[in-house]
Amino acid sequence: MAEEILNVDVMEKLGALGPVEIVVGIPSYNNAQTIGHVVQAAHAGLLKYFPDHRALIVNSDGGSGDGTREAVVQTSLDTQDLLLVRHTLHPVHRLSIPYHGLPGKGSAFRTVFRIAELVQARALAVVDADLRSITPEWLDLLLRPVTEREFDYVAPYYKRHKYDGTITNSIVYPLTRVLYGRRVRQPIGGEFGISGRLARHFLGRDVWATDVARYGIDIWMTTTAIAENFRVCQSYLGAKLHDPKDPGSDLSAMLVQVVGSVFSLMETYASTWRSVLGSLPAPIFGFPFEVGLEPVPINVSRMLSAFGQGCRDLRPVYENVLSPRAYRDLMSCAEQPSDKFVLPDEVWVAVIFDFALAYHRRVIGLEHLLKSLTPLYLGWVASFARQTEEEGAAQVEERIERLCLAYEQLKSYLITQWLVRTQERRAEQ
Amino acid sequence: MKQFWEQAIIGPLRELGHQAVVSLSSLIGVLILILLGVMVGWLAKEVVFRVLRLLRFDRLCDRLGIGPEVGRLGLARSCSYLAGQVVQGIIILTAVLAGLNATRSQWTQGLVERFFLYLPHLLAAVVILVLGALVARFLGRSALIAAVNKNMPSARLLAGLTRVFVMVLTVVAALDELGISRTTIIVTFAILFGGLVTAAAIAFGLGARDLARDLLQSQFRPRPKTEAEDALRHL
Repeated sequence: MAEEILNVDVMEKLGALGPVEIVVGIPSYNNAQTIGHVVQAAHAGLLKYFPDHRALIVNSDGGSGDGTREAVVQTSLDTQDLLLVRHTLHPVHRLSIPYHGLPGKGSAFRTVFRIAELVQARALAVVDADLRSITPEWLDLLLRPVTEREFDYVAPYYKRHKYDGTITNSIVYPLTRVLYGRRVRQPIGGEFGISGRLARHFLGRDVWATDVARYGIDIWMTTTAIAENFRVCQSYLGAKLHDPKDPGSDLSAMLVQVVGSVFSLMETYASTWRSVLGSLPAPIFGFPFEVGLEPVPINVSRMLSAFGQGCRDLRPVYENVLSPRAYRDLMSCAEQPSDKFVLPDEVWVAVIFDFALAYHRRVIGLEHLLKSLTPLYLGWVASFARQTEEEGAAQVEERIERLCLAYEQLKSYLITQWLVRTQERRAEQ
Repeated sequence: MKQFWEQAIIGPLRELGHQAVVSLSSLIGVLILILLGVMVGWLAKEVVFRVLRLLRFDRLCDRLGIGPEVGRLGLARSCSYLAGQVVQGIIILTAVLAGLNATRSQWTQGLVERFFLYLPHLLAAVVILVLGALVARFLGRSALIAAVNKNMPSARLLAGLTRVFVMVLTVVAALDELGISRTTIIVTFAILFGGLVTAAAIAFGLGARDLARDLLQSQFRPRPKTEAEDALRHL
């Protein structure tokens, strides 16, 4: 019997509430400035698009000290302005509770899943508390594929600036696609629709004392849903505008968390992805429209300088981690004049695959390994920025598509080398 | 007269002969023990070397950073071989000590006793050195990667200094464990370290006054940014 993560008060409140069909989860930590708007949008979305459903908004909070929880409860919504065609049969309930367990978004999600399980919800949507661009339509887009099309997992599909989400574009999206064979464009988007069945499945997994509870929840959910054959789709949400993340969080720590989670999942699902060839699109719901995007200023010369220094100073690390060919190719890229610098897709893919293999083989300490990827990643961003300087959104998307195809072409190398590394690791143990 | 010959000449000669035979047999015993130790040691070295090689001990040492150091210092052709040689050395040493003990002289017995009392310290010193080398390598690499990711131009120098500092501390700790001129080592280390810091501070203050001023100013009075800032959102 697993330990109950909800306290008695919450259980009693849920008991009094009875069954609920839809749950909207909002994980938060010090989001008093923005969470009111998110709650209003969620509330309006439920009234407008699901008037016949019993619904509950749950704020799962990580111990905010800025009045986030009070903002959730006190935020009011003037239904007169919503121009509702039909009046709701049931009121939308709200609950704001602190979560228990390891501090992180994963623990907050776990609490939402547990509540959804207790109230026997058919569908859940989870949205970030720092969103500025959320509209009531997002709730419809995230929940409708679950309630009416029997999908289990709805990933977001945003319009983003070409320099927004570069880790997603260069590593997470192509790697998830090539490994598990599904084209989910924003695998770590932050907003998701989930069926009650899948939420119960997530809840039953033994991951809540691991890094999944802290920071790896998004990629874990997407990978689990795809790899375990749940029905996955995407919904077009338009632009995502949200409060900038903590400026103190540095890039190498971000790479350790995100890329480390992807590599770790590769070990969990090794037998699954080794048999996958090619990829299939995941259906997209919603109506695509153009949106104005905030400009993203970047400093290419600084990135190139970081790449050059990495190739010079971290040479012994790369020599140890990369295959001789990838190492040679990388070093010849580093010798290019900065105004002609290009990191070809094939070289980048070989680097990522070799890092994944080194992770699996535990060639060096995992944190050292993942942090040493930082200069190479900046080299990729610099190369990408140079190549796409004059390109529009469609051309940039084509370029990312070509990168994904390069990943798919080199997958056989990854599969064969993975088996070799597995055997070597077993022999050592 | 006959009694005189018996007591003065033949008796001592017989005694001498007897002692010579005893000593010779002890010596032969010692030689046999040493020979046996050499043979068993050689055999043990080969067995240890081959077993460790089969268990991919060299690859483990390479990953821990011990292998490249062994190669660089020319200690042995591989870590497995070095381990074999260490076992061989211990067996031969044990045989020699057993041989010396067999002579039953006070001096050799005292030597053997002192050696076995000293042995734990020797092993502790070896463990300190190995652990120190591993920590130095780990911290050196941590410093290198962190410095590169912060775009510090002297990343390698910083990593090298980190390694040297940890190794110096390790060697001092190992020598202290061995009890080799404890006070002298600590005083020497303190003088050397203090001297180095003072020298570096004076050199920095005199030779790189401007640089020191710039560094302090950049720390405590940030200048207006001249370079374009990144606003990349990576995720």
